[in-house]
Amino acid sequence: MSDASYADRAVMNFPRRDAQDKITGRTRYTTDVGGSEVIHAALLRSEVASARIVRLNVEPARRMPGVRAIATHADAPGLYGIGIADHPLLARDVIRYHGEPIVALAADTLDQARAALALIELELAPLPAVPTMAAALAKDAPLVHPDWKSYAVLAEGSVREGNIAWEATVARGDTDAAFNRPDVTIVEGCYQVGRQSHVPFEPRAAVVSFEDGRFHVHTSTQVPWTVRSVTATVLGVPESQVRVTVPAVGGGFGLKFDASIEPCAAVLARMSGRSVSIINSRREEQMTCLSRENAEIRIRSAVTQEGEIVGREATVLMDCGAYGGEQVFLTSMTAHTLGGNYRLGSARISSRAVYTNTPPNGAFRACNGVYNTFALERHTDEIADAIGMDRLEFRRRNVLGDKDLGATGQVFEGDVLGPMIDRMETLRSKSGDREALADGRLYGRATTVGTWFIFVGLSAATVNLNSDGSATLVTTGVEIGQGTMMQALPQIVAASLGIPPEQVIVKSADTDAAGRDLGVGGGRTTVSIGAASAAACEEVKDKLLDVAAEMLQTDRAQLVLANGRVEIAGRPGTGTTIQQVIAEVESRTGPVSGNGAFTAPGTATALPGCVAGHFLEAIDLPVFAVHDCELAVDPDTGQVEILAYRVVQDVGRALNPRAIHGQIQGGVAQGLGYALHEEITINGNGAFDQEGFETYHLPLAADVIPVEFDLYEGAPSCGPLGTKGAGEVPILNVGATVACAVANATGRKVSALPLTPPRVMALIDDRQPELHHDHISPVWAENTLRSA
Amino acid sequence: MSVTLTVNGEERTFDGDLRLPLADMLRDQLRLTGTKTVCREGFCGACTVHVDGEPMVSCLIPMGTLAGRSVVTIEGVAGGGAQMNAVQRTLLEHDVVQCGMCFPGMVMTLSACLEKNHAPTREALKAELSGNICRCTGYERILDAVLSISGQEGAVK
Repeated sequence: MSDASYADRAVMNFPRRDAQDKITGRTRYTTDVGGSEVIHAALLRSEVASARIVRLNVEPARRMPGVRAIATHADAPGLYGIGIADHPLLARDVIRYHGEPIVALAADTLDQARAALALIELELAPLPAVPTMAAALAKDAPLVHPDWKSYAVLAEGSVREGNIAWEATVARGDTDAAFNRPDVTIVEGCYQVGRQSHVPFEPRAAVVSFEDGRFHVHTSTQVPWTVRSVTATVLGVPESQVRVTVPAVGGGFGLKFDASIEPCAAVLARMSGRSVSIINSRREEQMTCLSRENAEIRIRSAVTQEGEIVGREATVLMDCGAYGGEQVFLTSMTAHTLGGNYRLGSARISSRAVYTNTPPNGAFRACNGVYNTFALERHTDEIADAIGMDRLEFRRRNVLGDKDLGATGQVFEGDVLGPMIDRMETLRSKSGDREALADGRLYGRATTVGTWFIFVGLSAATVNLNSDGSATLVTTGVEIGQGTMMQALPQIVAASLGIPPEQVIVKSADTDAAGRDLGVGGGRTTVSIGAASAAACEEVKDKLLDVAAEMLQTDRAQLVLANGRVEIAGRPGTGTTIQQVIAEVESRTGPVSGNGAFTAPGTATALPGCVAGHFLEAIDLPVFAVHDCELAVDPDTGQVEILAYRVVQDVGRALNPRAIHGQIQGGVAQGLGYALHEEITINGNGAFDQEGFETYHLPLAADVIPVEFDLYEGAPSCGPLGTKGAGEVPILNVGATVACAVANATGRKVSALPLTPPRVMALIDDRQPELHHDHISPVWAENTLRSA
Repeated sequence: MSVTLTVNGEERTFDGDLRLPLADMLRDQLRLTGTKTVCREGFCGACTVHVDGEPMVSCLIPMGTLAGRSVVTIEGVAGGGAQMNAVQRTLLEHDVVQCGMCFPGMVMTLSACLEKNHAPTREALKAELSGNICRCTGYERILDAVLSISGQEGAVK
C-alpha cells in the first residue's frame, strides 16, 4: 500500500465518539465520582505570602466528627520539581506563597473536612516577601529559597543563583560588532504581560485509593506518568507502587501538567484505608492556578536600511512564583519563540525563571510562545516603522526559510512561513476588509507570524487485533477535549489496518496497561502517540501479511489491508477477510498484537557552543502560524471590537479538518481573552484579586466572531502521515496580532497586555508613560549569570 | 422540613437543609451528575436545569423554594434513556463538543430557547448564551450547529 492511499484513507471528518455521552450528561469526569464510597479531602492553605511556621497543632481537628486522616509535611517529605527539586507537597517550615497547602485532611463529608480544618492551630512569624521580579532581582533582595544550593538539580548544565531559579542563554555570532556597524538602525523595546488563568471547567481533581499495597490514582490530568512519579517521589515509595488512570478530562490547557493534589489524596488514602476524593473549589482553582506566567521582556535589534536583522539581543524574565516548576523548563523555549520567525545575523538571548513569593506558575497552551510572540511582533512593527519599510514586506524579507539558521544555529527545512504569508493575502482578499464596520471608531489591522514547535518525546502504543476484526489501541494518552484520542488516533490506526475507525477501540489511560508517555500537551499527541500507534500497526500488519501470503498463495508484496480484508493491491474484494487471517494467525502463534514506540528524532541540533542551560537546544518539529486581525477601538471608552480574525496554520497534514477548525476557533477565543480582558492582579497580600468568574473575565459568546482560516499542508514533518499537532498553536499569535492592530489603530506604542478599556484609554489619552524595565539592564551581558 | 417536587417527571421528597442548592441535591443525592457545578456563583451556566420549563442555574436555587415545582435536568431533557432532542442531535452531527463540561448547561439553555423561538437569529442566540460560558470551543460552531436546525418543524423534539 502506498503512503498516499494510507493518507487518503486516514483523512476524514470522523466525529468524536465521546460527544453523545457528554451532551446527554452521562460522562463521568473525575469530579463526578462520588457517593458513599469516597471520603472527602480539603487542604489548609496559607493566607499569607511569606512566613515561618512557628507552631502547627492538628490535634483539635482530629477530634472532630467524621475526620478520618490528617497529613502534614512529615507524611510526604519528598521534594519534587522540573529541573530542580525545590517543591514540598505540604509546607514544612516556611510558607512561600498565598494559598500554599500546609495540611491535608479527609473526613466523611466535605463540610466536616472544612469544619475540622478551621480548628487547626497555626502560628506564623512573618518573613519579608518578594512580590515581583523587580523586587527579586534587586540588590540584597531576600531569597525566596535561602537554601537554593541544597536542592537536587535534576537536569544537566544548570545556571542558577539566588532568586534566579534557572537561566538559559543563547550567544551566536558577534552581536557587539553588529550593533557597532555604522549602517544599522538600533531599535529597542520593553514589553510586559500579566498572568492568564486556564479555567478548565473541571477543576483539578482526583480520587485515590490504596489497594493491595499500591496507590490507585484516578485523576483529571494531562500527564499520568508525571502524577505517578511525583506521587512516588513525595511519598518515598517506588514508582511501581502507583497506578494512574484517567477518565474523560473536563479541559486542561496545560494546567493539568500539575501533580500537586494527587499525592495529598494518596497519603490520606493510605492513612484512612478509604478512597479519598479531592476536588479544588473554584476559588482554590483560581487562587492557586499555575497560570501562564507574567513576563517582562527587553529586546534590542540592529537592522540595516534594507531590513536585514544583523543583531538581536533579548532578555526575558519569567515569573515562576514560589517554586520553579514548568518555568525552569520553559526558559529553553524563548530561543525558539522570541528567537524564532526571523533570520538573525547574530543573537544573544537570556531567558530567566525568577522566584517570587507568589503562587507558582505553570504551562498554558503555547506556553512561553504567546507573550514572546507578542513582544517579538510588536518589536518587529517598531523596526519596520523605524526604517520606513512596510510591516508585511519586512516580514516577507526576514521570515525563516529553507536552510536558514534559527537562533541557536539549527538549520530549518523548507520554505513555510513565506508561502503562508501569501496564503493569508489570498484569504484576506477573498473575504474583503471590514473597515466599514468600524463606523467612525479607530480602525486597525495587523498581520503577524509565529513560531511554535511540537513537544516530541516518549510515547508508547500497543495495538491488539481482536478476532472480530476490530482493534484495541492501548496508550496512556488522555482525552482532555482536544479530540485526538477520539479522532486522529483511531483514524491513523484504522487507515493502517484497513478497517473503519469506528472499529478502533481506544483504551483510556492506565499506567498499568501501556508504556511511558510524556503526556498530552505541546501539540504532541497526534505526532508522538500517533507515531507510536502507527509503528504498532506495522508489527500487526507484518504478522497478518506473512500468514495471508501463505493462505492466499500470493506474493506478500502484492497484499494490502483494506476494506476489512487482506486484498491483492488494486483489486478490491479479492483475498479474504481480516477475521479469517486473524483466526489463522491465532491458530499458529496466538493472538495478534503489535507494539510501537516513539521519541524525539533528535535530528535538529544547535551550533556547538551557542547555548547554555537549555533543555531544548534545537526543535525537531517547528510549526508556524500567520494571523491577521481587523478591529475597531472606541475612542471614548477604549473598548476593542474584533471585526475580522484570520488564521493560516501550518498543520503538516489535516487529518480531521473539522476538528482542527474547532481547535482554531477555540484557541483564538482564548487568545482574545488574553489579549483584551483576562487579567490577574496580585494584591499586597500576595494573592490574586480575581477569585472567580465575576472578576476574571472569560470570553462570552458575544465577545467572539467566526474565525476565517486556511490550513497550510505539506510542510516537512516527522509526524505520522506528515501531521503536526493542531490544537496548541491557534492561540500563539492572538495577543501579538491584536496588540499590533491596536497600535496601528491608535498610533500608540502598545507594550503591555491585556488591552483592557482603561489601558487602551490611557494610550489614547497619552497618559501611559513609556514602559521601562529598570531591573533589566540595557547592557545585555549584565542580564546573565554566565558572563558575570 | 421536607419538600416534594418532581425531577424528570418523578416525584421526589427532599429532607434536609432547605438552603441546600438544587445542584447539590441533584448531584449528591440523586447522583444526576450530568448537571455540572463549575463556578457555583451563577456565572457559568454549566448547572442550568429547567424549573417549570424555564432555564435556571441550579447552584443558586435553594431546595426550600422548589415545593411543587417541576425540575428537568440534562438526563431528562429528551425524555430519558438514550434519546436526544434536536439540539443534542445537531451538536452531535456538527461535532462541536470538546471537553464537554459546559454542554449539559448549553443544551438546557438552547433547548428552552428554541422551544420559545423556533427561528432565532445568530445575535439572538448569542444573547441567550450570555450566561453559558465555554472555555474550549469559542462558541461559533455551537451557533452554526443550532442555526442549521433553526426554523425547522419540531426543532426542539
